[in-house]
This record gives sequence, C-alpha cells and structure tokens, in this order.
Amino acid sequence: MAKEFIAEPDLGFTKDLLKSGGGDLKKCYQCATCSVACKVSPDNQPYPRKEMIWAQWGLKDRLMNDPDIWLCHQCNDCSTLCPRGANPGDLMKAVRKMHIESTCWPSFLGGLVGEPSMFVVAMGIPVVVVLLLVYFLNGFNFSGPSPVNYGTFINYIAIQVIFTLALAFAVVSLVISLKRYWNSLEANIPIEVQGPRKGFVPSLIEALKEILPHTTFKDCEANNIRYAAHLLTFWGMIGLLITTAIVAFNIDILHLKPPSQNGPGTVAIKILGNASAVAFILGLVIMTVRRLTVPDETGSSAYFDWLFLFVIGGTGLTGLVTELVRWAGSVPGAYFFYMIHLMFVLALLLYLPFLKFAHLGYRTVAIAWGRSVGRNMTLATAAKYVPPAKPAEEAAAE
Amino acid sequence: MAQKIGVYIDTGYGIGEALDVEALSQVAVKEYKVAVCRSEPYWSDPEKLAIIRNDITTEELTAIIIAGPSRRVFENVFKFDGIITERVNLREHVIWCQPPNHEDTQMLAEDYIRMGIVKTQKYDDRAPFSEATEKAILVIGGGVTGLNAAVGAANAGYQVYLVEKEAELGGWARKYPKVFTGKPPYDELIPPRVAEKIQAVQNSDKVKVFTDSQVFEIAGAPGMFDVIIRPNGPWVDEANKRANDWRAEQLARAARFAGEKQEPAAEKEEAVGAWGVGERREPDYEHTRVAVGSIVLAAGWRPEDAATFEHLGYGKYPDVITSVQMEELASKGKITRPSDGAAVQSIAFIDCTGKDNEKPNLLYHSYVTSLVALKQAHYLRLSNPDGRAYIFYENMRTPGQYEKYYQTMQDDPGVFLSKGEVLGVSNGGRQLAVEVKDTLLAERLKVNVDLVVLGVGMVPVTQDSAVVNLRYRQGPFLPVNPQGFNDSHFICFPYETQRTGIYTAGCVKQPMDFHQSGTDGLGAALKAIQCAELTAQGKAVHPRAGDQSYPELFVTRCTQCKRCTDECPFGMYDEKPDGTPMPNPTRCRRCGICMGSCPERIISFRDHSVDMIGSMIKSIEVPDEYSEKPRVVVFICENDAYPAIDMAGINRMQYSPFVRFVPLRCLGNLNLIWIADSLSKGIDGVMLIGCKYGDDYQCHFVKGSELAGVRMSKITETLQRLVLEPERIEVHQLGIDEFAQIPVLINKFIETLSGFDPNPFKGF
Repeated sequence: MAKEFIAEPDLGFTKDLLKSGGGDLKKCYQCATCSVACKVSPDNQPYPRKEMIWAQWGLKDRLMNDPDIWLCHQCNDCSTLCPRGANPGDLMKAVRKMHIESTCWPSFLGGLVGEPSMFVVAMGIPVVVVLLLVYFLNGFNFSGPSPVNYGTFINYIAIQVIFTLALAFAVVSLVISLKRYWNSLEANIPIEVQGPRKGFVPSLIEALKEILPHTTFKDCEANNIRYAAHLLTFWGMIGLLITTAIVAFNIDILHLKPPSQNGPGTVAIKILGNASAVAFILGLVIMTVRRLTVPDETGSSAYFDWLFLFVIGGTGLTGLVTELVRWAGSVPGAYFFYMIHLMFVLALLLYLPFLKFAHLGYRTVAIAWGRSVGRNMTLATAAKYVPPAKPAEEAAAE
Repeated sequence: MAQKIGVYIDTGYGIGEALDVEALSQVAVKEYKVAVCRSEPYWSDPEKLAIIRNDITTEELTAIIIAGPSRRVFENVFKFDGIITERVNLREHVIWCQPPNHEDTQMLAEDYIRMGIVKTQKYDDRAPFSEATEKAILVIGGGVTGLNAAVGAANAGYQVYLVEKEAELGGWARKYPKVFTGKPPYDELIPPRVAEKIQAVQNSDKVKVFTDSQVFEIAGAPGMFDVIIRPNGPWVDEANKRANDWRAEQLARAARFAGEKQEPAAEKEEAVGAWGVGERREPDYEHTRVAVGSIVLAAGWRPEDAATFEHLGYGKYPDVITSVQMEELASKGKITRPSDGAAVQSIAFIDCTGKDNEKPNLLYHSYVTSLVALKQAHYLRLSNPDGRAYIFYENMRTPGQYEKYYQTMQDDPGVFLSKGEVLGVSNGGRQLAVEVKDTLLAERLKVNVDLVVLGVGMVPVTQDSAVVNLRYRQGPFLPVNPQGFNDSHFICFPYETQRTGIYTAGCVKQPMDFHQSGTDGLGAALKAIQCAELTAQGKAVHPRAGDQSYPELFVTRCTQCKRCTDECPFGMYDEKPDGTPMPNPTRCRRCGICMGSCPERIISFRDHSVDMIGSMIKSIEVPDEYSEKPRVVVFICENDAYPAIDMAGINRMQYSPFVRFVPLRCLGNLNLIWIADSLSKGIDGVMLIGCKYGDDYQCHFVKGSELAGVRMSKITETLQRLVLEPERIEVHQLGIDEFAQIPVLINKFIETLSGFDPNPFKGF
C-alpha cells in the first residue's frame, strides 16, 4: 500500500450497513481481538478487524472488492469475544448482503429481493406464474382418481420447460455475477497478495475438496453446531437433486413410472429421497431454532436471513407435507400442496443469485481465488510452543 | 526549666512477659531520678488514665512518658492539657522484633527509656505563635474555579477578596457556546451556567470583587498576608519582566553551578540572589491593600502558542485554526470557513499533544484535548447532518464518566476516528489536504477537508508570570515541577504548593475540564479555611497538623551563612537588614531542615533541638569493645521510615538488637554534629533511612532526604580525620510499603561493620 490513499467516506454506505444488520459497527475500537479469535482468518492481513474500520469510515470501494468477506463463514467467534459488543460477525454478513446486491445481474432483481417492503412483489412473481400454469393446464381442478399421479395434474413437460428455463436463468445470472466478482478480485483488491498464481480449475478443485466435507467450517467454535446442521442440509439438498435427476431421467428417457407410482427402482430411490429430505429439513430446523433461541452464538438475524430460510425451508416443508398428504390418501390435498411446493421451488431457483442462497457461488469463488493466490485458507495447526533453552548454569543451579 | 517527669511503663501487649520491667523502672528511678514511675498493663484504659491524671495533680508533674505502643497509636488518648507527653516505643520497636527475655532485648529497651527521659528533660518552655489571626481569604482568578472557591468560602462565613484580571468575571466559560452536562447519560451538550455563579458572587456581601485588576505583591505569611491589589496598567509588564529576568538569572546560575566542578568559595550572592530584601516602598499608586489569612490561586490557563504548528499550516492557511478559535467560531451559530465564509462540511481535528512534542508540561493535557475534539465534532454534527468530522489522535483519553460521551460520539456515523500521526496540511485546491500516517487503516492516507482544527495544549499562566508576586527572599514565584505546574506533594496534599498558605486549584494546577475545575475550587477553599483557622491557633497546617512549636534562632551566634534560608523548601526565612535570617513562623512546616543545616546549631524548636538529639545519643549505653556487642544509631524520618519500622514490627520481622532508632521529623533535619556525637561516643555505625527523593519524590518536605544525602557526602572528610572507614555511614531511601527491607538493610549493615574493628572511641 505504498501508493497514497485518499479517504472519501461514503456516509450513505455506512448508514446502509447500519440498517442491513451491522448496527453496532461504530462501537469497534480496533483492538483486533476478533482477528485473533477468528480460526479461519489468514495470518497476513486478517479479518474482520480491517473490515470494521473500513465500514466505520464508509469505504465502500474497499469492502466491495474484498475477498475476505466471503472467506468468512459467519461462525461468530469474533462477535462472542468482542469486548465492545461491536458484532463484527454481523457486519461481515451485512457487507455480504450489500455485495450480492451490487454485483448481481440483473441488479434490479437484487434490490427487489433485498428490500423488506418488496416482499409481496418478490414472492408474488413465482406464485402468479405457478397459478397461471395450473389455471391454463388444469383450470384449478385438484380432484382426480387415486393413486396420485402428479403427471396428470400438471404435465411433466410443462414443469420441465418452466423449471429448466428458471434454472438456466439462475445459472446464467450467477455466472455473470460471479464473473464480475472474479474480475474485481483480479483488479481491485484492497489488500496485498503475492506469490505464484495457480490456474482457475486446479484452484476450484482444491476449493471443492475443502467445501464438500466442510473442513474449514469445522474450525469455528462459537456456532459449531451449525457446521453439523449445514452439512446435513448441504448433502441433503445434493441428495434431493440426485433423486430428482434420476426420477426425471427415468420418466423422460427410460419412460419408466415414477416412484410415486411404484415404478422400478422404487425402494432405492425412495430411501435416497426420503433420507435426503430428512437430512435437509433437520439441518434447516436446527439452524432456524438456534437463530431464534441463541442469537448470541449465531449472530443476529435480519430480513435477508429470514427470507432465505423462508424460501428454502418452505421448499423442504412443502415437499414433505405433499408426500405425507399423499400417504394419508388425500388426492386433492396432495395436488394442492404439490402446487404450493412448485411455487417455493420456482422462487428458490429464480432468486438463487439474489437471495442469501447465492453464497453457494460467491463463497466457492472466493475460496477458489484464495487457493489460486495462496491466501492460506485454513490455518495450519500452530506449532507447539517450545520455551527457549535455559543457559547451562541456571539449569544447574535449580 | 527542670521537668518533673512521670514514667508509665505499659506491661500489656506481652511487654511484661518479654522484658524485665523492674529493671526498666530502676533505670528511670535510679539513673534519672524521675518523680513517678509506674508499671501497669494498658495505660490507654480510662481507669488507668485517671491514675495518670491524679499523679499530674498530686505530684505536680510537667511531663509524662508512656513507654509502650508506638507513638502513632493512641495519639488522642494520651493527651493531657499543658503537659508534655512523650512516647517510648517498647512494642513495635522492641518486643515485636526481638526475642523475649534476652539480654540484648533488655539492653535495647533500657536504652530507649534513657533516650526518652533525656529527650523530655530537654523540652523548652515557649508559647505558641499567636499573632497571625487574619482569616480573610484571597482568591486569585474569577473563572469557574475562583468563583466556586469564593462562593464556597463566603457561604462558610469567611470574608473573600476575589481578584480577576479581565474586565468581567467568568473566565473561559463565558467564551464556550456549550459544555458537557456532567450528568448521566453524558450524551448531550448544554450552555455553560457560569452566569449563575457570577450572580451568586455579586450578591454575596462577603465577597469583594476586583475586576480589571491583578495582585501587585504579597508579603507576610499565613494568617498575616499583606496583599496589594492594583488595577491593570503598565506596571504589569514591568513587574513581570523584573520577575522573569530574576528567574532567568537564577536558572543560569544553577546551570553554571551544575556544569562547573567546583563552586568558587564564598561568592557574595545575596545582592543578586535575594528578592524582596530591604526597605519596602510605600505605595504611591492607586491600589487596595488587604490583610488575608490564606490564598487560593485559581488563575487558570492560556492556550499553547500555535506558532509551533507551522508544519500543520497554522499561520499559512486561514482555515487552520486552534481549538480555542473553534469555540469562538462555533459560538456564532453556523460554522463557516474563515477564508471565504462558506459553510463547513468537513473538519479534521488534530490532537497536537503527540509524542513529538518535547515540552514536558504538555505531557498531561490530552486529558482534556480529546474531549474538546469530540465536543467540537459534535458541534459540526448537530448543525449539519451530512457533516463529516475526522479526529486524528495519538491517544484518545476521556477520563471517568466521559467514556460514555466518547461512546456516544463513536456511534455517530459522521464521526471518523483514527489513531495516526499527521504529517502535514497542504493546499488541496478549494479544500485543505491533511496527510496522516500509521493510521488504524494500516496505511498512509489523505483527507480533504474544509477546516482544520488543532488541539492545542493548556499552559498554566504561571509559566508566563509569577502571578502571586511574593515578596519572599526565595523569589516571587511558586516553585514548579518538571512539567511546569506548581509543585506539591501531589499524592498526599493535592492543593498544596511549596509556599504555605497558598493553594492552587483548576487548570493552573493541571489540565482539567469545566466541572472538575469547579469542584477543585471548592476543595482549595476548604484547605484555605483550614489553614486560616489552624494558623490563628498557632498550629501548623500540614503535614504536622496541630504542631504548635516553631523555630527560634539564637541570633548572637549567627554567621549569616544563609544555609537555613536557602535550604528551607518553603521559603520560611526572609532577611533582615543586617543580613541575619528573619523567620516567618506561620510559613513554617516544622520539618527541621533549617535546624539540620545550621553549622552553628543556633536553630531550635520548643520540643526539638540539636542539644536534645545529641543528648539522646550520648545517653546510649555503649558496651566496651570486648563484649562483641556493636552499637548502631539509625536516624529515621517520621513520615516513611518510622511507619515502615512499625510495620516490620507488626509483621514480627526480626533483626539485629544492636540498632538504636532516633526519630527525626525529616532526614533533612539531620545535623552533622550528631554524627560526630555518635562516633565520639563509640557508636560503630550510623545509618539514615528516609523517604524517596527525586522527580517523583515521596519526601513530605520535598527535598529533606536529598539534602541529607548531600550533607553526608561532606562527612567523608570528617571520618578520615577521625581515621574511621567511610563505610560506617549508610544512607537509604525507603517507602512505607518497603518495610520488608528493614531487616535486610539492618542485618547487612551489621555484617558490614563486623568486618571492621570496633570503634576505637568506645569507653572514652
């Protein structure tokens, strides 16, 4: 940082941060307890201390181009140890939210999803799309013969078209947003990095090797339960995706009956699906309950957090309820909840790049980039302290 | 006058079991033929005290000796009107630190009885000094501090003269638009309420106010100060120049002395070194002359000269101003730039009390400057919600409850705080560019601001002039500490100065805020009242509160060497026309330093004289050189050393029985003749234990132990003449908390002495 830096605090940015959940950020007096406490922060220019002073000084540029905000796993060790109650964990979360809003594409959707007063409009879009779909295909007729056959309620093709489009949109949007992020990291980072660069793909593979078993996340202490809960939800979701893919493949390509109609491979698929669903939902329930009962350990929760939990939790719960209602024997009930479930899934996919869900992309990119420049991700276990050798005469005197 | 003495040995506390009390009584009765000698346990009990009172009446006793617990306990119990009361310490100094029923312990106790009786026999009959009965109080300075002092003293019923150099009362408080509330939750600013105080002073019929006036001269002493107050005029500059020139010459002389190896002998210094000696000119100018008992100095501060901050743009850019100028700017309402009158959107506050500042008196004032920067940032934020205030500091100090105010300002999103070193202020076009390094943002940065405010220091006005203008031979100034503030024994006596009867309060004493200044004024007023009352009774004020003795001189033998006059830390002695010292008893703190300094030994107190101590030493029984029982005399000061030895006794620490403690008021009280007395009596070694001296001195009389050390360095010649080893004399500094060192020091000294032959003067 030899070049001169002209500080031009953006007062509006600081006020936004204060509103987005970083309410205590001005209390920080730079003691650096947080940076020392953070298990996953690197030794060189650690976080979250510098982010706190940048936030206090309204230095939007630095925060928006900082890789460290996404290396943080919101374990809350820093907030629990902060002697001032400045909650650096919450500040990092608030910056992440504003970062998503500023890098996402198209940006107006980021604003729509992030603004509490736009809840009805934001959620209204997937609701209206699914309602229209059901209306045009079915005229809101939920009745039908037993057993439940979702394909007759809504044609699978229609589902696949709509949802594939939604997924495609999400993927394109996320890729553009993440490309913007990567470029800003290459060009504008406010910290010094040096050393040889690894290529993108090897870095990504290294990142995935760490992310899939949650190696880094395990180091966090204050909110350690969330590591386990998140692991459940993470793998539960992957399990559910695999299940969906297999079923879609069976239906479309192999023209087999789906498991709901006891098609072949039913037992294996059902076990995979249900086990994944249980893991998925259990993890979310644990995380939600902890947010409500022990906010000191989890960090405080703002609109942005609850919205994501609402959408993804709603997805899981409606899926489960749909299955249960089917088992209970109510055909209209199953079709009704299936419709609700579709609304949630559509919301989840459509808004993936704009909800907190986007963390799956941003954090991965940040960790991959970190691996690529050698900004050590997990601290190697610190060498055991060896006291200096005593001079011979002192040792003899004892 | 021969004393009729009653000796009362306390056999309680285990004394009766550890000593042969009968033998002790025999010393008193057979060797000294005292009138009465009794032994009973616990003489402090009321029935026992009645016995003593009865003895006083029936036997017509004039003096009582209580041989038992330390003199530091039961002070108010063993008090008999008009009767001399002496204490011999057989408890802390004998049985608690020595093995019981041992020959050496017995010899120790017997020696202390002898010393106590001899001391009592040497008391003189002198009346207290009762001529200083003036009780009015002079308050110099009419700001918040002085106003509070004046109102406080007036409400307590005392006549007050309040002198203020400006045309109006109120001082700096009149010039601030806002001040802190001084109350929880410490998040607001309010206008200063100094008008109420001014009203209270003007309404009081006990306070006489002199505005646009200053003190021309103060002569006299506590209880009889003679003060001349004059309206402002050309005399002010002339008087200050005279005083400052005199002081400069004194400092130059001291520097020359320190630099040269030897001071030329007998240089006639009186004419130049003395101040206020000679005929006092009768005032032929407009003035008011008042008599006061004590004085409160509340003259306050002035801003540090900002010309030293040229590198920060002061004087170069009109928009670089001091914090004092900022108050004036803010009091106009909207904050505008001095250069073009535009509204100010951003301000950089620079705390100028950083480590690069070499002036020692500025070490302490960021106590206030941090608060001022926060307050002025608050001014900006209150008047402009988009305003930005940057505060760059080396330290952020917000003492006491003001931490809450700091937290309030920290929470304000428009206030940007960072530690940092400001490198410079330069032209940034329409704005000013401030460059800072080593910031909390971990780098060098620059900000562009509309206004730069420099937090300058608070300099006490006593830096510029004497203010009190004392007509004392030691000069018109109050002595200062290395930081340039009035010097006192800060820990024990915060309001005191080195001139008895003059008390400082407010920012002239140390940087402090508005509220603390007010309280300080009240505190100093209380001290001033205490001084006036005690002095009127002929008593010392502190640290020997209640002491009615004072030094008297046997002038016939005075050689006018002026050692007493120069060495007195409190300027007690002026000078008579014939050159002999003129004591002012009420200035005296009864430390005895003058008594120790006089080579002719002409100074004495009613209850403390050179002959007295000399006789005590000669009363010690010194065994011959074959007994293998050396004898050591240890002179101890009463403030730190005596209590430390008591503490060692309380903790039952054991040490050599061969030492004899001789308490003095201060080690500076030591007269070298006593060393000669000791050595010629056959004492093998002499040790001095006193309070610490130096920049952070503990000595309650400022420099007593230091003087003792200096005097002892001159004893080497005497020792060589007597063909004795210089290692027989040791001087030690000790704090009361270091009592565990007592056995170490003493036992080590005895061991050192055992390496020498016994003093050849034993048995002479």
